[in-house]
Amino acid sequence: MASTRVANSSFRAVRAASIRPAAAWRQQCLYHSYDYAQPPPFPPAEAAILSAAYSHVPNHGFTIDTLKLGARDTGYLDVSTNLLPRGVFDLINYHLVTQRLALQNSVQFPDDGAATKKMGVGAKVRTLTLARLRANKPVIHRWQEALAIMAQPTYVAPSVAELAKLADEIWFLSGDQSVDSSWYTKRATLSAIYSSTEVFMTQDKSANFVETEQFLDNRLEDLTKIGGFLGGLGEWLNYTGHSAINVLRSKGARI
Amino acid sequence: MQSSRTQLGRQLLGASKRRVAREPYRCFSCSVRQAQQQPPPPKSPQDGPSTTHFGFETIAEALKEQRVGAVFSSVASSYDSMNDFMSLGIHRLWKDHFVRNLNPGRNPLTSSPSSPSAEQGWNILDIAGGTGDIAFRMLDHASTINNDAHTRVTVADINPDMLAEGKKRSLQTPYARSPRLKFVEANAEKLDMIPDSSIDLYTVAFGIRNFTHKEAALKEAYRVLKPGGVFACLEFSKVNNPLFDAVYQRWSFAAIPLIGQLVAGDRDSYQYLVESIAKFPSQTEFSNMIKDAGFLVPGKGYEDLTNGIAAIHKGVKPA
Repeated sequence: MASTRVANSSFRAVRAASIRPAAAWRQQCLYHSYDYAQPPPFPPAEAAILSAAYSHVPNHGFTIDTLKLGARDTGYLDVSTNLLPRGVFDLINYHLVTQRLALQNSVQFPDDGAATKKMGVGAKVRTLTLARLRANKPVIHRWQEALAIMAQPTYVAPSVAELAKLADEIWFLSGDQSVDSSWYTKRATLSAIYSSTEVFMTQDKSANFVETEQFLDNRLEDLTKIGGFLGGLGEWLNYTGHSAINVLRSKGARI
Repeated sequence: MQSSRTQLGRQLLGASKRRVAREPYRCFSCSVRQAQQQPPPPKSPQDGPSTTHFGFETIAEALKEQRVGAVFSSVASSYDSMNDFMSLGIHRLWKDHFVRNLNPGRNPLTSSPSSPSAEQGWNILDIAGGTGDIAFRMLDHASTINNDAHTRVTVADINPDMLAEGKKRSLQTPYARSPRLKFVEANAEKLDMIPDSSIDLYTVAFGIRNFTHKEAALKEAYRVLKPGGVFACLEFSKVNNPLFDAVYQRWSFAAIPLIGQLVAGDRDSYQYLVESIAKFPSQTEFSNMIKDAGFLVPGKGYEDLTNGIAAIHKGVKPA
């Protein structure tokens, strides 16, 4: 009885929410939705300045001068960089957000049915992670500056949040549908692997970043090993624990 | 018995004396009561719609400019020491942060030499900046941080006494007789001497709450700014934390007028000061006013300082 009442009230809440205008609804969307186009991540004026500034990053790095150059390119003044309250971090954030959102268009997987061999979720994650790392290529010689800014106490929280969104995006695009506690561990481990590989990549001088690719493969392999070991350990503990209890019960213990 | 009766009598006498002594004292609760009890002064029908507030009083619009002028004329000489006493010196930190955040000045070394025809330095208009607090900081920042010897500041104030104070103070800076610093007596609602689209940065620090028509001043700011120019306003605002707000209200309504009386010998001016702070719109309301004037606002539109005692509002004129 109680459960139906709860269900009823929650149903009413959902219905009330769906009556609200679509615009307000869209702003509240915190999940991937196929029904609504996502609003652009930056307002138009900010986006214009940031995208113009982004093209100056290879030469001028992640600095306030880059932002000023971008503002001048779009017909704004030096002072207009005040439109970006977090300054250079907004430029870094622009890189992070646009490259994350570009991932769904830049990486295409063949249809599962038509493909000769179905691609596993793990392989998809590897492909997507590599694609995201390769998107850093134009700015990689300046990326350590960006990492230093992201490590400033004020910007740690938004940077980590963006990393979590990236890990979530990669798992979502690779078609992962887990709904158990592994949802969390998958995202946490991928975040750790991605960030360490990115740091490795800033020092990688090999042609076409083959060493970075190898580093990523090694870490993913470590993950499967550790995952397998933890899974095995859990199974062993579970079995041993149950057997021990059963042995005690057979000896007459009241458990 | 006898002694206890005289004691009681003395106590009563003391209490009545104290009450008499306290009569002219106006604390927050008194002024609220006054504002509620006193019906607004009898208005003639034609000036009915054109009233404005002067602190908690409602007065005719035409009078506000004059009354604000009187307040600032009387506090001009002790302005700085009073600010220090009232904000415990924190107003200096706010002003420093305000200027550092705006980062005025164009570094000749890092800015591209591609356009030599382009103006050098920024053209800054500091409204209600009579004592030059913000102007000197701007010029210092431009010269020492950005190595820019061209950025100019025009200090505009409606009050000649405050301007005189600023001019006097400018003699102790390197900018006193340079073309980089100019003083203009002007009303922020009618900046006729400033041409359209000529200003890079329009600043107003602790001034806009005294304007009779804030919308008109914002419109005028929009007119004088170049496309892409920035309107930046440092002003007292609303404290977010209710507990801290209670402490802050006690401080501002009990301590500040008292300090004003002791240090500047002028209670009423400082009573007006705290009342005008209480009357100023909240962060989001004022940010919406800036948006309504046509500006783009960065992020959420404002930045709280010291829990919202003051706030920095910015707006960018679209290019």
